Amino acid sequence: MPLGTLDRSPPPFFKQGPSALSKLMFFSALSLFLMVADTRFRITQPVRAVLATALYPVQWVALQPVRAIRGSGEYFTTLSQAKLASEEASRKLAQQSLRAGQVEQLTQENNRLRKLLGLREQLGTTVMAAEVLYDAADPYTRKVIIDKGLAQGVDLGSPVLDESGVLGQVTRVHPLVSEVTLLVDRDLAIPVLNVRTGARSVAYGDPAASGSGLELRFMGSNSDVQQGDLLTTSGVDGVYPPGLPVARISRIERRAESAFAKIFCTPQALVTGARHVMVVKPGTGLIPPRPEATPEAVPKKKEKGAAK
Amino acid sequence: MIMRSGQQLLLPANPVFIWSSLIAALLLDMLPLGRVPWMPDFLALVLVFWNVHQPLRVGIGVAFMFGLGVDVHQSSLLGQHALSYTALSFFATMIHRRLLWFTVPSQALQVLPLFAVAHGVELVIRMIGGGIFPGWNMLLAPLIEAFLWPVVSVLLLVPQRRAPDRDENRPL
Repeated sequence: MPLGTLDRSPPPFFKQGPSALSKLMFFSALSLFLMVADTRFRITQPVRAVLATALYPVQWVALQPVRAIRGSGEYFTTLSQAKLASEEASRKLAQQSLRAGQVEQLTQENNRLRKLLGLREQLGTTVMAAEVLYDAADPYTRKVIIDKGLAQGVDLGSPVLDESGVLGQVTRVHPLVSEVTLLVDRDLAIPVLNVRTGARSVAYGDPAASGSGLELRFMGSNSDVQQGDLLTTSGVDGVYPPGLPVARISRIERRAESAFAKIFCTPQALVTGARHVMVVKPGTGLIPPRPEATPEAVPKKKEKGAAK
Repeated sequence: MIMRSGQQLLLPANPVFIWSSLIAALLLDMLPLGRVPWMPDFLALVLVFWNVHQPLRVGIGVAFMFGLGVDVHQSSLLGQHALSYTALSFFATMIHRRLLWFTVPSQALQVLPLFAVAHGVELVIRMIGGGIFPGWNMLLAPLIEAFLWPVVSVLLLVPQRRAPDRDENRPL
């Protein structure tokens, strides 16, 4: 037998490095520290950014087969389907042209009235188009990854829209990609306005496992909501521009034992299959800062007491 | 080295092959197939395989680093996969002397609890952290991983099973 066919190096009897148990202790402690740092102190962003950039080539390779399949699928879309789509589009265009004509006039009128009232003009928003790369495989949250990051000027907290409504919010920005938490994630809340009644409330993501909806919490069981009501962003948060469609109320359960109604909504945006999205600059810099609370509230009371 | 009777003498493992198989498993994990709770974790499988067969080359530290990479890719809690892979790798190192004395199907039965523990660690961490429960079909993931063990132990040992002298009449 030639040399090098068997592993001839003797196993190290005495230099074995730290034992498996001590390695386990060390790395478990390190990962526990990372988890706490990630959730409580939010200081792991540099680590994430470095690792995400290092992993980018591997991710790019992994995306290629899926992109190829998608591309070929679109190529083989038949002529009839294309025709149908174009007919549908022209019908919609005819319906919308009337409204579009009115919008110009209404905007002008609105501008004049606003100037008359001395109100601030409606704030213009800057948007950036992006593409959804993949759904984050983490089954415990609802997130997607888009192909724009710090290098393209994405801001943390930017609202993300698709063609039919609000999709979610940017929750992490890496150098080349960023992470969008969808509306249906249970940790995301969005302030909404009922278009029919003008009532403001907050919509939360559905906490169920197969959740693909939103829930309006803390609405009294006698509140004026109806099935089919459209909810839009209210703009009171200063993050989402006002008036974007968010969801439509799909089901209302009024129960005798609870003072609150259970209101379920379906999001207007395509949360499970959106591909082309728009990232909007958040309007947080445009609202005035919150007035600071006077810290001498307690001593003042004492002075009052002393004066008495 | 004491070996099971009838076991083939293997060629030394090529470090390039070990690392490229780990990277390939990472690639398989990164395929954008959406949110599937029962998706087997190929990287965990390959890590356990090399932990058992080459414990001096692929140890707990390697498992930890790959775990961090998966965490960043999935944008899950940083350290979640790192902890589960560390535990997985520790248990694999604990049983690596005993495991190779068994036949491959019974090896699969013995690595099943390891994968179950790894998935359990992740589930417990995320439930404490307030995640969405992904559904009961996630119990299938360790089972599928254990079923894939024989496949992996054939595939990854192929380069080491080549004949030491190439023979025209005996290609393998």
